[in-house]
Amino acid sequence: MSCWINRRQFMQTTSSAIAGGALSSVGGRASAQSPGELRVLVYGGDTGRANIEAYVKPFQAETGIRVTPITDDIRLAQLELMVTSNNVTIDVIATNPNTHLIAAARGHLEQIDYSIYRRDELGGLLDFTKQPFGVSGLIYSWVMFYNTEKFPTPKPRPSSWAEFWDDRRFSGVRAFQSGQSGTEGPWEEALLADGVAPDAIYPMDIDRVFASLDRIKPHIRRWWGSGSEIQQIMRDKAADIGNCYDGRAGVLIDQRAPLEINRNQAKLTCDYWAIPRGSANARNAQRFIEFATRAERQAAFAQLIAFGPSNINAYRTIPEDRARRLPSHPDHLASGVLMNTRWYIEAGSDGRTNAERLRDRWNDWILR
Amino acid sequence: MRTLQTLGRMPIGLTVPAFAILIIVFGAPIVLLFLTSLNAPALSIANYQAFLGQQANVRVLFQTIEVSVLATIICIIIGYPTAYLITAAPKRLRMVLLVLVIIPYLTSLLARTYAWIVILGDRGLINNLLLDLGLISSPLPLIYNRVAVYIGMVHIMLPVMILPLVSVMLGIDKSLVAAACSMGARPFAAFWRVFLPLSLPGVRSGSLLVFVLCLGFYITPAALGGLRDVMLSTFIAAQVATSFNMARTAAAAFILLGIAAVIVSALGLDLSDTPGRAEQPPRKSWRRRLPSFGTLTRNLNELAKPYRAKRWAAELYQVGGDGRDRKIVGTVFVLIVMFYLLFPGVVVITMSFNAGTFLQFPPSSLSLRWYRSFFGDPSWTTAALTSIQIGVAVVILSTIVGMLAAYGLSRTVPRLRAILTMMLLTPITFPSIVVGIAAYFGLLNLGLIGTITGIILTHCIGAVGYVVVIVSATLGNFDRRLELAAKSMRAGPLRTFMKVTLPLIWPGVMGGAVFAFIHSFDEVVKTSLISGFSIRTLPLKMWENMRHEIDPTIAAVASLLIFLPLLWLVALYVTWWRSRPKDQLAVPQL
Repeated sequence: MSCWINRRQFMQTTSSAIAGGALSSVGGRASAQSPGELRVLVYGGDTGRANIEAYVKPFQAETGIRVTPITDDIRLAQLELMVTSNNVTIDVIATNPNTHLIAAARGHLEQIDYSIYRRDELGGLLDFTKQPFGVSGLIYSWVMFYNTEKFPTPKPRPSSWAEFWDDRRFSGVRAFQSGQSGTEGPWEEALLADGVAPDAIYPMDIDRVFASLDRIKPHIRRWWGSGSEIQQIMRDKAADIGNCYDGRAGVLIDQRAPLEINRNQAKLTCDYWAIPRGSANARNAQRFIEFATRAERQAAFAQLIAFGPSNINAYRTIPEDRARRLPSHPDHLASGVLMNTRWYIEAGSDGRTNAERLRDRWNDWILR
Repeated sequence: MRTLQTLGRMPIGLTVPAFAILIIVFGAPIVLLFLTSLNAPALSIANYQAFLGQQANVRVLFQTIEVSVLATIICIIIGYPTAYLITAAPKRLRMVLLVLVIIPYLTSLLARTYAWIVILGDRGLINNLLLDLGLISSPLPLIYNRVAVYIGMVHIMLPVMILPLVSVMLGIDKSLVAAACSMGARPFAAFWRVFLPLSLPGVRSGSLLVFVLCLGFYITPAALGGLRDVMLSTFIAAQVATSFNMARTAAAAFILLGIAAVIVSALGLDLSDTPGRAEQPPRKSWRRRLPSFGTLTRNLNELAKPYRAKRWAAELYQVGGDGRDRKIVGTVFVLIVMFYLLFPGVVVITMSFNAGTFLQFPPSSLSLRWYRSFFGDPSWTTAALTSIQIGVAVVILSTIVGMLAAYGLSRTVPRLRAILTMMLLTPITFPSIVVGIAAYFGLLNLGLIGTITGIILTHCIGAVGYVVVIVSATLGNFDRRLELAAKSMRAGPLRTFMKVTLPLIWPGVMGGAVFAFIHSFDEVVKTSLISGFSIRTLPLKMWENMRHEIDPTIAAVASLLIFLPLLWLVALYVTWWRSRPKDQLAVPQL
C-alpha cells in the first residue's frame, strides 16, 4: 500500500491545496510545453469564437507565438487544484470577478505587469477593470427585459426596479436570477427597489435585501439559474418581464423576438484575464493580455459579439448603432450600477465572506 | 492462471482488483479529505457543527432524504410490475422491451432534462395544446414544483430499478410458481409467497442504486423544481463554485455519505442473501416482515385448496380464459410506462432535425443541418472518439473487476459483505465534485492528470459500483449446487466459472456493462478536473456548448448517443442469443 505513495508528501499536497497557501512541495508534472507556446482559455461557444478571431489569431500573427486556444471555462476548484499541485497546464485564463478576486486573494495568480502597456491604452482602460492580478477584457450587465406583446408601445413599462417590484401597476409573469451562488443574485436590485440610492448600495444591508425580496417573492414564477435558461424562457415567452444578461436578450432581439431591454439601473460587472501562478509562459501570457486589452482589438471583438469593451477608446472606432448596444457605452455606464465584487469577498469577524452570508441567508429564505 | 485459481479458492481475494483501483484512485485521498474535514491535525468537529448549525442545511438534508426515498418508492411501484411483465413476455419481445427501457438512460442527462421543460413548461407541449383547445385560459403550473421533480427523477431512475429486477426475475425458475399453483395456491398467493420472495434481491439492489443515486441529484431538481425544491448537492455545488472551502465541502459530503450508509444498512444492504436454496435452512426473517394474510383467511383458503388444485389442472390446458383481461391490463400498463420512458427521447430526436437555429418542438421544418454541423466539426468528432475509447475501456475494466468483486462478495460473511459493498458504492454516493477532487490527488501522484488512463480509472471507480450491485443481484438467486455439480464432474474452478456461473449471471453482467458505459459517457464533473484541460470528452464538449448557447447540435449529439449504444446492445444481443439456447436448456436438466 505504501509503495505507491509517500504519505507525507501527500499530506502536504492536500493541505496546501486546502489552505490555498504555500506552493506544494510535490514536483508533479510541470506543464510540458515549450516557451514559444501559449495555452489560452477562451470560453466556449460564440464567445470562444470571437476571442479566437479578435485576439488569438492576430496575436499569433503579430508575435509569432503559437497560441492554443482552449474553448472552455475554468472554475475556482480547478484553478486551485492546478496551482497548488504545481501542475499548471494553462497560461492565460478568463474568469468571472468573484473567482478572480478569491483566486488573487489566495495567491493563485501572477501579478500583472502594467509596465508593458502603452500609456494611451492604459488611460483608456476603465479604473475598475485594472486589478493587480488581472485586467478585464469584457464588460457585461444584468438588465430588465419585457415582452413587447405583453407591454406594447402605448402601455406604460417599468423603468426602474421599484416599478418592477410593483406587481399591481405592472402585472405580468416574472422571472429573476436565483441567488443560490451568493454572488450573482437579486441583491442590488432588491435594494434599489426599496429606494436605496445607487451610490449607497454598498455595504449592503442584508436584512433590507431580504425584506425587499419578501415583497417580490410571491410574484416570481421562476428564479432562473443559467444564462441559457433565461434565454429559453424569454424565447418561449414563458415570462413577460424579468432580469437577464444583456447579451442573451440581444441575441433574441436580433432574431426578432418581441423583446426589449431597459438599461436604466443595469448592474454592470466584468470578467478578468489572468495568469495562473506557476505558468511556464508567464511572459508571453503578459503580452497576450496586454494585446487583448488594446482599444483597436476590443473594438473588433465588440463587433463580433455584444460584450462591452473595457478600454473606452474602443468606442472611437465602433459604429454608433453598434456602440449603443454594448453595456459599457458611456451612457449606459452612467445610468447603470457598478457591482462591487470586492465587497462580496470581504470577510466578517466569523470568517464568513459577505457572499457566504448572502448564500446562507438565501438558503434559509427559500425554505420559508 | 495459477494465481487466478488461488484467488478462486479464496473468494474474498476476488475483490482485490476492485479495491486496488478504488484505493489507488480514491481511497487514500478520501481519508485525507476526512481528516481535513476534521481540521487535522487539530481534530475538531467545527466544520460539522457549522454545517449542522445552519438550520437550512439540516432541513435540506431531510428534504434530500425525503425526495430520494419517495422517488425510490415510486420507482419500485412502477418498476416492479414492468419488470415482471417484461420477464413474462416472449423472448424476442422481452429483448425489445429491455432495450426500450434503457433508452431514457442513454439520453444525455442535459438533453433529457431539457426535454421535460419542453413538455411541461408554461409554454410547453401540454400547456400549448390545452390552451389551443381552449380548455384552459392560462398555463397550468406543471413545472417548477415537487411533482415535476419526481417526474424527471423517476424517469431517469426507472431503468436503474428495472434492470436489476429483470436480471433477477429471469433467473427465477418459473416452475416453482407453477408448482405452488398445482398445490392449490391461488395465483396471487403463489406470486406473493414464491415469486416475490425470490425477486427480493432485485428489489433491494434496484432500490439501493436508485436511492444512492438520487441523494446526489441536483441538475434535474434545479431545472424542474421550484424555489424550495433544492437538494443538498445544490448547496454543495454552490459552495464549491463560489468559495471552495475544502474542509466545509468535505464535511457536508461526509454527512451525506453517513446518512446514506445509515439508511442503506437499515434497508438491508445484503444484496445477495438468498443463497443456495437447499444448502441453508430457509430464512424466515423477510417473511415475517411481509404483512400476513391473517389466520382466518388462511384457514378458509386451506379449505378451498383441493378445488383450486383441480382447477389449475383444468386451466392449464385451456386456451385463453380469464387470463385475457389480465393480459390487456398488463399490456396497457407496459404501454403507458414505455410512453413515459420514451416520449422525452422522441422529443429530443425530433428537435435534432429542426432546421432553425434553436431548439424547437415541434420543429418548423426538417433538416439534417445539425448532424452535418456535428460531423463537419472536428472538435465534436474527436471528442466523440475520445469518449468512445474511454467508454469501451471503462466497460471492459469495470465489468471484469466488478464481476469478480461481486462473485467474491457473494461468498463472504454477510456483515463483511455489507461493509465492503458500501465502500465500493462510495464513489457514486459522494457528490461528484468531492470524488473528483479526491481522484485528482490520487492520480496526481501517479502522474495521470490530463491523461486518458487517468480518466478511465476515475470513471472505473464509479462504474464498478454499478456492476457490483447488479451482478450481486443475479448472484442472489444463483444455485450454488450447479457449481458443485460441475466440480464433481471434474471441472476446474475456472472452467466451472466460465461454463456454469458466467452463463447464468450473464444478464446481470450485461446490465452492469451497460450502466458502466453510460456512467462513463455521461460524466462531466470528475472528468473536467482530471482532464486538466488537455483531453476533451463528448460530455465536456456538450457542457461547454450548452453553457453558451443552446443550438440543436446538442439534440443531434443526444440522438446519436441514443443510437450508438443501441447498436452496441443489438450486437451484444445477437452474439448472446446465438450462444444462449444450449445454456438455457442445461438449467432445467440439472
